Amino acid sequence: METVIKTSTIKDKLIFEFETSKLFLFGNTQLRDQAMESFYKQGIPTRKHEAYKYIRVDLMLKGEFDFSTNKNCSDAQIEPLKFLKDAYVVVIENGIFVEGLSNLQNLPEGLTICSLVDAEKSNSPVFEKHYAQYADVKTDPFIALNTAMTKDGVFIHIAKNAIIEKPIHIIHISTAFKNTIIHPRNLIVIDENAQAKIIESFETMDSTAKIFSNALTEIVVDKHAIVDHYKIQDEKELGYLVNTTQVIQQKQSVFSTHTFTLSGSLVRNNLTVVLDDEHIESHLNGLYLTAKNQVVDNHTVVDHRKPNCNSNELYKGIIDGKSIATFNGKIFVREDAQKTNAFQSNKNILLSEAGTINTKPQLEIYADDVKCSHGSTTGKLDEAKIFYLRARGIGIINAKKLLMHAFASEVVNTIKIEALREYVEEKISKTFE
Amino acid sequence: MNEVIEEKISTEYKYGFVTDIDADNAPKGLNEDIIRFISAKKNEPKWMLVYRLEAFRHWLTMDEPDWAHVSYQKPDFQDIIYYSAPKPKKVLKSLDEVDPELLKTFQKLGISILEQERLSGVESRVAMDVIVDSVSVKTTFKETLAEKGIIFCSFGEAIQEHPELVKKYMSSVVPYTDNFYAALNSAVFTDGSFCYIPKGVRCPMELSTYFRIEAAGTGQFERTLIIADEDSYVSYLEGCTAPMRDENQLHAAVVELVAHKNAQIKYSTVQNWYPGDKEGKGGIFNFVTKRGICIEENSKISWTQVETGSAITWKYPSVILKGDNSIGEFYSVAITNNYQQADTGTKMIHIGKNTKSTIISKGISAGFSNNSYRGLVRIAKGAENARNFSQCDSLLMGDKCGAHTFPYIEIKNNTAVVEHEATTSKIGEDQLFYCKQRGIDNEKAIGLIVNGYCKDVLSQLPMEFAVEAQKLLEVSLEGSVG
Repeated sequence: METVIKTSTIKDKLIFEFETSKLFLFGNTQLRDQAMESFYKQGIPTRKHEAYKYIRVDLMLKGEFDFSTNKNCSDAQIEPLKFLKDAYVVVIENGIFVEGLSNLQNLPEGLTICSLVDAEKSNSPVFEKHYAQYADVKTDPFIALNTAMTKDGVFIHIAKNAIIEKPIHIIHISTAFKNTIIHPRNLIVIDENAQAKIIESFETMDSTAKIFSNALTEIVVDKHAIVDHYKIQDEKELGYLVNTTQVIQQKQSVFSTHTFTLSGSLVRNNLTVVLDDEHIESHLNGLYLTAKNQVVDNHTVVDHRKPNCNSNELYKGIIDGKSIATFNGKIFVREDAQKTNAFQSNKNILLSEAGTINTKPQLEIYADDVKCSHGSTTGKLDEAKIFYLRARGIGIINAKKLLMHAFASEVVNTIKIEALREYVEEKISKTFE
Repeated sequence: MNEVIEEKISTEYKYGFVTDIDADNAPKGLNEDIIRFISAKKNEPKWMLVYRLEAFRHWLTMDEPDWAHVSYQKPDFQDIIYYSAPKPKKVLKSLDEVDPELLKTFQKLGISILEQERLSGVESRVAMDVIVDSVSVKTTFKETLAEKGIIFCSFGEAIQEHPELVKKYMSSVVPYTDNFYAALNSAVFTDGSFCYIPKGVRCPMELSTYFRIEAAGTGQFERTLIIADEDSYVSYLEGCTAPMRDENQLHAAVVELVAHKNAQIKYSTVQNWYPGDKEGKGGIFNFVTKRGICIEENSKISWTQVETGSAITWKYPSVILKGDNSIGEFYSVAITNNYQQADTGTKMIHIGKNTKSTIISKGISAGFSNNSYRGLVRIAKGAENARNFSQCDSLLMGDKCGAHTFPYIEIKNNTAVVEHEATTSKIGEDQLFYCKQRGIDNEKAIGLIVNGYCKDVLSQLPMEFAVEAQKLLEVSLEGSVG
């Protein structure tokens, strides 16, 4: 009974905060009101919500939380996080776009990067057409909450035919000193024939406070566009992240997304890719390395709406300590979507005795001329392989590391940006230490 | 103690209930008086009535589940007759005394009791506990079984004659608190089968029950309890058919299996109830709770099911692998056609060490139907070296049907090896072409391919069923392709 009271408290606080700060929030009040209403109906999910069965966000949200968004970060602090030397860097601190910390000089033709607030102010037609059109507030309470309460984020637009060679790196950094809830929101629109590489990294500054980040990114991939999207989640022990990514793809586009969860006390990824026209290709890759008391939950939905599309999904995890990892992947093939090829694979290694892995690979199919499959395996490191290596003079620790690297490399090798791949490999090596 | 029971029975007795005790049917509706009526009708001991009432009171606090991937008009529980019995004529000594009307119906269903008895000289034979309208009319082969010490009788009889066994095992696998329909069943079940295989006995024949829903507007709530004591073996067949009915009928059965040390239980089902007409009107609602427990080491429980009937199927035969080295198996073929909906699968709960489970599920959907596999594999912390292999394949026929897979895998032990794979596809054009080219027409070719596709499961069925099941697959898919 107690938990019910407490969760309703945080819900009440959120609603109160919304009502009092509503006037200062940018944009369409009607949209925000509707979203809040939807959040009010759904509430903070508890164990009884099927989609949040394995992750207790409600327990995490107990206690006092602040909603302010201070800027505390200095140039020196942000510098080491800019791990890609040759990139356009966007810094979002506590959910607010900070131009001073970003590197956005000499943007090439066709690339627009600005804060969400500025995009709204400038009445950009692209912004107006796409903003909040894809992530449906009715489907998830965190989408509703973000839509209602977001203060800022980044708007990226890549114009027709523009090919952006350098990657665009969005750094989400949380620096609060009090327990804080933030709602960063990004909108990325890639027009017809355009190409881009986008990296989102999630970091926290050393602090003593819990930071709950309810981040949402909408990505629009127009006809013939090619987009590479990466997420590097490395929020350390005080980071709590619910990260929604909503992607819509148009005709003959190619979209690849890669999610690397390296740390963070609680990470929930809601990734939805909608294939809204024919001849689309989608790739969803993920790697989660969990330890200690971490809880990582990956929810993916691939929604095939039209015929002749291909999707491919590969998620791998190594689970250590008392951590709990969840993979819930759904392939949805609608009535129209004949000739769909959809594949999904989830593989896990459970290192420790206390770790838990929950997997739920789902197929929901309403068309008959399709090829769909999913596979899921869970096991420990192969004793025979360890023996093979040890027989050749490699110590047990190194043998295990080697095997874990080999296991992870299938996902890591899908990274097309070399500097990023090196960075991730280095991070993974550190995790295995 | 008696006072407590007395109090339980007498509380909440709100309505003055006057019943003509000769009445065959209980009035429509459900309340404590109906439960008392059923219990009195069956001449049950007080502890049974207490159990029923407790279950009913718990049921009142529960909500009907809606998580399954099915949609239907929820049954009105007050519009169901919970008890109907055929008039007891006299004690039957031979089949000649069985109501000829009844025999005719059985002949229509293709199961001839006469034939069964004629076969009684043959070694491998099928004993039948015939259930018509919720009451066991005739139990055959009982004496032969009794020689071996095997108890195989109706549930009602077991309550009268073996109360200690019923008390010990009933509700131990599926408690009435388990789910909505299990609670309902516990409160109102009218009859069912009871089977006890003593230590070291290998049951010499396949035990079989034919269920049948007869009187219009009667819901059937059977309960089956099978106990295999140490080192014993039993194979149990359950087959169902129902005549055409233009009204939804609710069926909420509970099946409990208990396997002791080194014991083996094989439970096979062929379910072919009325699935509703081509427009999806009518048909049986089949909400069943089936669960077995491998309570001691080296035991094995195997479920095999061929599901072709029912408008709505909602069924998850499960195994709790509690004893070390125990084995659970689940083989299933589920076919849905027209507007049928099936949400079926299994649960394998690994608790003991070195436990193994295998899941093979084949779903076939045609017409406008929806067919879902929903399964859970849970490896508990102490389940060292647990092993699971699951394979769920779906076959789609036509572009208006759906096939879905919802597996849940929860692993808390790092020595476990769990594999799951699922595929969805349609019948290969090349396979069809190959058959047609050799002069096999479309419908036959599909039957052939489907039977091949389901072979892994069909081969698990006992001989008596295997042939029947193959025919059933073809009949179920008739007219679905064209």
